[in-house]
Amino acid sequence: MLKIENLHVAVGDNKVLNGLDLEIPTGEVHAIMGPNGSGKSTLAHVLAGRPGYEVTAGSVTYDGRDLLALEPEERAHEGVFLGFQYPVEIPGVNNVYLLKAALNAQRKHHGLPEVDAFEFLNLVREKMKLMKMDESFLSRGVNEGFSGGEKKRNEILQMLVLEPRLAVLDETDSGLDIDALKVVANGVNTLRSPEKSVVLVTHYQRLLDYVVPDHVHVLVRGKIARSGDRTLALELEKRGYDWVTEDETTPRNYALHDKTASTANQDAQFRGDPGAA
Amino acid sequence: MSAVLATRIAEDFAAAAHASGDLQRQRAMQALTERGLPTSRDENWKYVNLRPLEKVRFTPATGEPQAPVTAQDLPAPVAHYCRYTFIDGVFAPALSAPTPNAGVLVKSMKAAAARANPISTPDLRFALLNEAFATDGAQILVEPGTDCQTCVELVFVAATEGKAGASYPRVSFHVGAGAQVGLIERHVSIGSDASFINCAVDVSVARDASVKHYRVQQTGARAIWFDTLTARLAENARYQLHSASLGALSARSTVHVQLAGERSEVGLFNVSVGGKNQVHDTFALVEHIAANARTEQSFRGISAGRARVAFNGKIIVRKGAHGTDSRQSLRGLLAGADAEIDVRPQLEIYTDDVRCNHGATAGKLDDNMLFYLLSRGLDRETAQRLLKWAFLEDVVAKIEVPELRRQIEQSLAGQLNEAAALKELL
Ligand SMILES: Nc1ncnc2c1ncn2[C@@H]1O[C@H](COP(=O)(O)OP(=O)(O)O)[C@@H](O)[C@H]1O
Ligand SMILES: [Mg+2]
Repeated sequence: MLKIENLHVAVGDNKVLNGLDLEIPTGEVHAIMGPNGSGKSTLAHVLAGRPGYEVTAGSVTYDGRDLLALEPEERAHEGVFLGFQYPVEIPGVNNVYLLKAALNAQRKHHGLPEVDAFEFLNLVREKMKLMKMDESFLSRGVNEGFSGGEKKRNEILQMLVLEPRLAVLDETDSGLDIDALKVVANGVNTLRSPEKSVVLVTHYQRLLDYVVPDHVHVLVRGKIARSGDRTLALELEKRGYDWVTEDETTPRNYALHDKTASTANQDAQFRGDPGAA
Repeated sequence: MSAVLATRIAEDFAAAAHASGDLQRQRAMQALTERGLPTSRDENWKYVNLRPLEKVRFTPATGEPQAPVTAQDLPAPVAHYCRYTFIDGVFAPALSAPTPNAGVLVKSMKAAAARANPISTPDLRFALLNEAFATDGAQILVEPGTDCQTCVELVFVAATEGKAGASYPRVSFHVGAGAQVGLIERHVSIGSDASFINCAVDVSVARDASVKHYRVQQTGARAIWFDTLTARLAENARYQLHSASLGALSARSTVHVQLAGERSEVGLFNVSVGGKNQVHDTFALVEHIAANARTEQSFRGISAGRARVAFNGKIIVRKGAHGTDSRQSLRGLLAGADAEIDVRPQLEIYTDDVRCNHGATAGKLDDNMLFYLLSRGLDRETAQRLLKWAFLEDVVAKIEVPELRRQIEQSLAGQLNEAAALKELL
């Protein structure tokens, strides 16, 4: 479904991705792990078409097409979905309005009529139940005043309504307590099917207990440093990222876990500045 | 004021018999002559386009336009509000449906030979012009304790071209102690879209009274609209002023609110959308005179095409107005490479123990929000329009009259669509 070859990406003068190769076959769930600042979010944003990221070399093929040639909205229409690490608050734009507009944009692209209002509401209600979200969230502004966990659940709700073929979920697990994590994991597992692929970007192996990946990749300094099956994630949990990077010339001291990390300060980190993380 | 303009005004005044023979008008004229109309060199008038004044006639239009205005030409009425229509500032009984509201007295100033309070506030020179020339107006007196929350709707229709005569809407609105009143005030054009309108409104809110005042400026595409509103609040009075500036080629509103009574509260909520070559300028001054009073002021403006949208929100906290609490949130959105937006918060504080928050931003649409919407599949134009809508909705949502709010939203949506069609956004 997705094939990334020798991808080089710069943000300003900063070379963030340096020859990344990755292939995600249809029907598989791949986890991408890696220390802070290794380029995980950059990869996710480039796949979604965010401006400001310069692809200096390499290619990304999606269903045999050049993904990088498509506008962000076209990628969405073609079934690419990015679950944001930091979902954006948009006061004044109704949550349910966005869901409907997004679904209709996709349908229009595929030559389908607008979704029936009644069917749509039923669909959204069903997905909200799955995400254990109160219906009052529908009439609120997009992510406006949502807690960290609520924002993440809202991302998964959008994903479930849009049913993308390739979902790239950027740290959807961070900042969640264990109950919310299970809800989110359940949402992702619902989407899982032989026709769909999922890329789970995560910092912690915890999520992978609930969404079991087919493959695990470790991203270090803009390249895949190691790939394996899910036991790789467990190994990383035990040994830290130093273990992956030890053969590099200038080893850096990445910690997989902040040893004092509680849900509370994960939340704090989640709210923090992405660049500073 | 240019000498030419001063002479023109004086000549028109001398020629208007109703005006030149009247003492109060003479005084207004004299004060105006002494002070002169503002020029764009004046600090608070630099965004206004005053040049069109040189082409207008200051003599009031007769209120009898060539093509008669019918009820169908007027905006859809709002349920439960009694409508009073004025054509070129003159009461038009045939287009009015006044049903008596207990405790509320509405009079045509001309018919009742009633006088408005003389305009006394210093920098309200356009109000002096209104006082010198206006032939009619609405006088609304609300008795103490009256509960009339869906009360009166005033529709001011400008029909005559500015070259032929001016329209002088005049409102005198006095609310007795403890009363609760809702007032809608509309300004529209029918017939000529190139009228000269000079509006003056004075409001007083007695102690414990509560007023919601909605103003919609939707005059014609070539109209010149000047407006002065003064309001004075007594102890524990509440006054909300919601304004939507949509029409006119050049519109200027000068607002002066005096919080004269302790614990009085004013809310000023203003949206302004300008496109093409429109100029919208508002200067809103709130004066905290008494202690423990509150101000909430929000402005949302969008400027597209070659338009200029400006909002100057000034708060003065006088000596002795301790415990003042004021919040200002002024935001402008630039939606065209040749458009201009200016938002300016000003604070002057002459006492201790006050809480004054103000935020002012002027800029383009937020890139993060835009990308978020695109990533969900919305096309760029829809996403931009949606974000502009959301930007305005923040303030429009405060309009508590559902029908009116829908009408305003519809007009705004139309205006945004038109702006988007110009394809020059961002
Ligand atoms: N918009 C940006 N502007 C400047 N630097 C950026 C930007 N986005 C990412 N970076 C830089 O790129 C590197 C990788 O960041 P990111 O992809 O967010 O890492 P991760 O998601 O793995 O923590 C970091 O050094 C970060 O500072
Ligand atoms: Mg990241």
